[in-house]
Amino acid sequence: MSVAVEPRHGNPGALQAIAAEHARSRRRRRLRGLGKHAFLIVVTLLLVAPFYYVVLASFKSSTEIFTYPPKLLPIPPFIGNYQKLLGDTGFLRWMFNTLFVAGTVTLIKVFMDSMAGYALAKLQLTGKRAIFLAMLILLMVPLGALIVPLWALVNWMGLTNTYLALILPPLANPLGVFLMRQFILGLPKDLENAGRLDGLSEFGIYRRIILPLIKPGLVVLAVIIFTDQFMSFIWPLIATSSDDLQVLTVGVAALRSHGGADYGLWSAAAVMSLVPIGVFFFVLQRQFLARSLAGALKQ
Amino acid sequence: MFLFFVVFLVIPVVGTVWWSTQAGGIVGGTTNVGLQNFQRLPDLVGATAAIQNTLIFALLSIPPILIGALAISLVLARVGRGAAAYRFFVYFPVLVPGVVAGLIWLFLTNVDFGLFDNVLRAVGVQPVTWLGSDTALGVLAALDVWRNVGYWAIFFVAAIIGLPQELYQAASLDGASTAKRFWYLTLPLMRRILFFAIVVSTIWGLQVFDTALVLTNGGPGTATTTIIFRVWQYVFGTNDKVGFAAAISLVLIVAILTLTLAQMRLLRSRRGDD
Repeated sequence: MSVAVEPRHGNPGALQAIAAEHARSRRRRRLRGLGKHAFLIVVTLLLVAPFYYVVLASFKSSTEIFTYPPKLLPIPPFIGNYQKLLGDTGFLRWMFNTLFVAGTVTLIKVFMDSMAGYALAKLQLTGKRAIFLAMLILLMVPLGALIVPLWALVNWMGLTNTYLALILPPLANPLGVFLMRQFILGLPKDLENAGRLDGLSEFGIYRRIILPLIKPGLVVLAVIIFTDQFMSFIWPLIATSSDDLQVLTVGVAALRSHGGADYGLWSAAAVMSLVPIGVFFFVLQRQFLARSLAGALKQ
Repeated sequence: MFLFFVVFLVIPVVGTVWWSTQAGGIVGGTTNVGLQNFQRLPDLVGATAAIQNTLIFALLSIPPILIGALAISLVLARVGRGAAAYRFFVYFPVLVPGVVAGLIWLFLTNVDFGLFDNVLRAVGVQPVTWLGSDTALGVLAALDVWRNVGYWAIFFVAAIIGLPQELYQAASLDGASTAKRFWYLTLPLMRRILFFAIVVSTIWGLQVFDTALVLTNGGPGTATTTIIFRVWQYVFGTNDKVGFAAAISLVLIVAILTLTLAQMRLLRSRRGDD
């Protein structure tokens, strides 16, 4: 390596050796880069293959689905499964219910959680620490473990088979408050103090100063809540028995359990269920990926 | 918010304790039987099988999820071109509701036309009955790996990107190999993150329900009957035993609270203070 100090006057043999060494390391780096991509491509294919297989099945008639070897491209595509799904089942109604419930919960919760988070972060409240600790401890308790008392409670309130039964219990989840508290704690104090000097009320400070600052956090929170709501199953399953109130997951599960095996219909249902969340993900990729990171904020 | 938190979370948690001492149906009257439900719980074949299945499920699914996620994230964090596309595809299964995931896996595990058996046929191996009583729980765990590996992979990517680069440069100058850098730098630096991931993925794993309902309906027999599946059966199935349901729920809640508290304690002690 000492020859590298004076490359211009060094002997040509050493120069060549250095050049060769460079080329070798470059090649090695490129090879390693290729290895990385090969690994990621294999992982991606493994993860995506199930989707492709189901999309494929959804464009086949029942006999074609059972044909071996399977056709790997659905040409000509058979759209009977989709016609049946949209025409003969309540799929569109389920989809509406899911979007309506998830949308409502998201709207209410983003507003409520950010306010509660502000209160926990900045206001002098008696018992603030106790509330916060209780939320932290119960953060992970799932609705699924609470279905007995929750059902009894909602039944006692006379809410079974109403949209309220689907919307109210998920509002209790403390994750959003928790995230918002952490987020708001990270904001500089000067701004709100300035607001206070200007005679803003606490709500005014929240609305005019805090809210604009935490907008990016709110979008992430909305994505977290909406996705959880979109995927929720056990509570909607037991809270509603009327067909009109079934959400997507409940309706799709009913397709599976009632009537005989209809693989064509099931595959179409699986594909169509993923369309809305897929579109949202494509548009809001960054926020969705941040959903995974929200866990890190918990620390 | 605080009102909802109390009404729909605190009261139900406390309510579970009350219900667990009751016998009878959820709508009819109930009678207080004290701790009898808990005393009888170990003898109930259904209850013990459900707890066992859930624990085995967690043991089968969590190690591959976290190890796989770590492997993916180590590569994904160091890749330049195409990173966004990889992230998109790796994360996509995470957004599939459990019910839909169960449906999708019906198409992979079907004996006549499933993807797995078609691949086996193509390479000349005898097809396998994937959802038989010996394998169904394993398939359910595999489904969970497929659905959750992306979540933790993206989570770890963020952690890895946040690691101090100077340490890695120093290690490179000292001639540490990639494997050594991983073992002596990345792993220790990510200790807290990994611990967090283990606890949270365990808590999630204990809640498995919707995939089991759609893919195998808890069967064959009770091979894939999980805790929440059993709770649901006790309350809304033919046998109206709400006390048992609450008692098993309480076991689950206590397990989850213990894990949460252990995590809070450990993270706090490492940091000194809240």
